Amino acid sequence: MRELLKIKDLHASIAGKEILKGVNLVINSGEVHAIMGPNGAGKSTLSAVLTGHPAYEVTQGEVWLRGKNLLELPPEQRAREGIFLSFQYPVEIPGVSMTNFMRTAVNGKRQYEGKEPLGAREFLKLMKEKRALLEMGDKLQNRSVNEGFSGGEKKKNEIFQMAMLEPCLSILDETDSGLDIDALRIVAEGVNRLKTAENATIVITHYQRLLDYIVPDFVHVLADGRIVKTGDKSLALELEEHGYEGVKS
Amino acid sequence: MKELRLHSGEVFERVFVNEPPLDLRIVQEADSRVKIHVVNFSEDSEYSEILNKITVEQQGEGCVTEIYGLGYLRGEDHVETETHVRHIVGGGESKQLFKYVLADRSQGAFYGELLIAKDAQKTRTEQVNRNLLLSREAQMRTRPQLEIYADDVQASHGATTGQLDESALFYMQQRGINRDEAYRMLVAAFLKDVLETVADEETRTRLMDAIDRVVE
Repeated sequence: MRELLKIKDLHASIAGKEILKGVNLVINSGEVHAIMGPNGAGKSTLSAVLTGHPAYEVTQGEVWLRGKNLLELPPEQRAREGIFLSFQYPVEIPGVSMTNFMRTAVNGKRQYEGKEPLGAREFLKLMKEKRALLEMGDKLQNRSVNEGFSGGEKKKNEIFQMAMLEPCLSILDETDSGLDIDALRIVAEGVNRLKTAENATIVITHYQRLLDYIVPDFVHVLADGRIVKTGDKSLALELEEHGYEGVKS
Repeated sequence: MKELRLHSGEVFERVFVNEPPLDLRIVQEADSRVKIHVVNFSEDSEYSEILNKITVEQQGEGCVTEIYGLGYLRGEDHVETETHVRHIVGGGESKQLFKYVLADRSQGAFYGELLIAKDAQKTRTEQVNRNLLLSREAQMRTRPQLEIYADDVQASHGATTGQLDESALFYMQQRGINRDEAYRMLVAAFLKDVLETVADEETRTRLMDAIDRVVE
């Protein structure tokens, strides 16, 4: 076990409005952290700031990923360093095929790591193998990225991309929203099978439901831009029962 | 002005790539077909100010007219394209698809005049112009002008001008794709459907390579 991510006193704002007001968090390899909290608490802002979304401004604090100053890096370099975000609303990109998109991403990362790019045959083999993990058919591959995908297909496609890119830190932003129970099971099983002793996962969610499938080591309550309480998985059940008002420490 | 008369059943196909300003008038007799691509790519072109004018008149029945335009303009480029498609008799078909990507301070214009005469019943036409502005200074003017005097026709048209989808750019960057590369992929994706109408594979590949080269 070693330190993967360290967030120190992180403040961030959007359009001049402060959303994160001093977040502190340390994540070690092999861990699953759940971040829960009411609407507007800053959960999605945290994932946007960690991945370098240009709309947000970091006004104070530090973020380190495996000893690298994350805040200095552009979004693509953060991704290549191993941060992956499963988007709450995956973006449709008409005209760009899944295969072309994924090959550019995978080979971009390999190049960054000083590895040879994958040839066409190896790449397709890898796609097939990872698709099986998410019980996805091959028809989605020839379509444009997320275009015309159902809600469930989009979320599966996020985890498929995660499987392809093998990140060290995955952030699942409301991955359960819009999923029926079968899709939820497939997505959660996919996530669990990708878990290793080397990587870590942040699960951002409103509800306890997803945490029945992806069991967290830690549960944090984010409220008004700060982590106000941290506990183990029982905290999620407590929240479910008493609401966020009940647990503000 | 260059004039051309297509006799019954004749076919005229041309891809004009960065050629000097076009001034072309084509008259179509029955069952003839026209398929034209007008391509303007900055950098590869020695002309920075271009006015293209294309007039096609369907004088016989059962004609098909396809006019496609695509361009990537930048710097101080100025490209205007004017089309005049005239359906004089019925049962004809025309399709126009124009797509421009404009960077820097470039300017573009598309004026599409479409006439369906009183006797040109059962005519089917489609005219689409879509543009992508890559900078605040770039400008595109678009003016579809439809004059329809027949009552039993299918005529559709649409014009939109927008910017590159920032959320798509960020999504691609989040997957580790360089911003420049993501940019190129999105521009290529935007032009894709026009490119796919070029039948000759060699020409199509050459154009795709040209897009990769000029987009930065």
